[in-house]
Amino acid sequence: MVLLIQPLDAMTAIYHRRSGITHIVSEPVPQILHRMGGETLTSDEIVERLRVDFDFEEIDARSLITERMDEMAALGLLVRQHV
Amino acid sequence: MDDEKAAHDSGLNNVATRRRALMLGAIGASAIVSVRPALAQSAASVLNCEIPVPGPHGTGMNIDAYGQLVPRDTPGSFPTSGVKFTGEQVKAAMQGRSLPGTSYDESQAYVNYIRRLQSGQSGFTCYASLQITR
Repeated sequence: MVLLIQPLDAMTAIYHRRSGITHIVSEPVPQILHRMGGETLTSDEIVERLRVDFDFEEIDARSLITERMDEMAALGLLVRQHV
Repeated sequence: MDDEKAAHDSGLNNVATRRRALMLGAIGASAIVSVRPALAQSAASVLNCEIPVPGPHGTGMNIDAYGQLVPRDTPGSFPTSGVKFTGEQVKAAMQGRSLPGTSYDESQAYVNYIRRLQSGQSGFTCYASLQITR
């Protein structure tokens, strides 16, 4: 999956080549993509990676990041893997 | 030119390399606006165009609730037969009606499959055109 990523001040543009769709996203979407680095991770693992570089509220962090990941999966920016 | 290339290459790195507060958004609030390419197609031909579920690339596979192609024995997945739906049927399914001949859950899975179609896959042009017609 080829993503062309361009920061636009407060937002980030992500062009998904195969679908031809441009997604205009706010954080933490680009940060999630960057920290995943192409690996397959659970939302818990992503929360831990984000914690290395960022400060955020403990409460609801996992729920919020899971919700963002669900949104990204629905749009094809992430692919859900079955275990 | 060099500045532009550097900016492009460091796209993601510039987003956050130092520790700072990260806004995670709010429950129920979307973080993404998606802009689809415009494809020229008349309204009549769009409603009659066809989307196979799955396309040839998915022959012999099932579809899970999220619309992804999965092996036939995947628990909770739905069998497929390559049945073709018209643009009109898919448009109606996206507005709440079930696809003809499917249960509610099956229809949802099929619609999610259709939503995930990529350029080059059978039915993509038909589906993409549905997005811009009334």
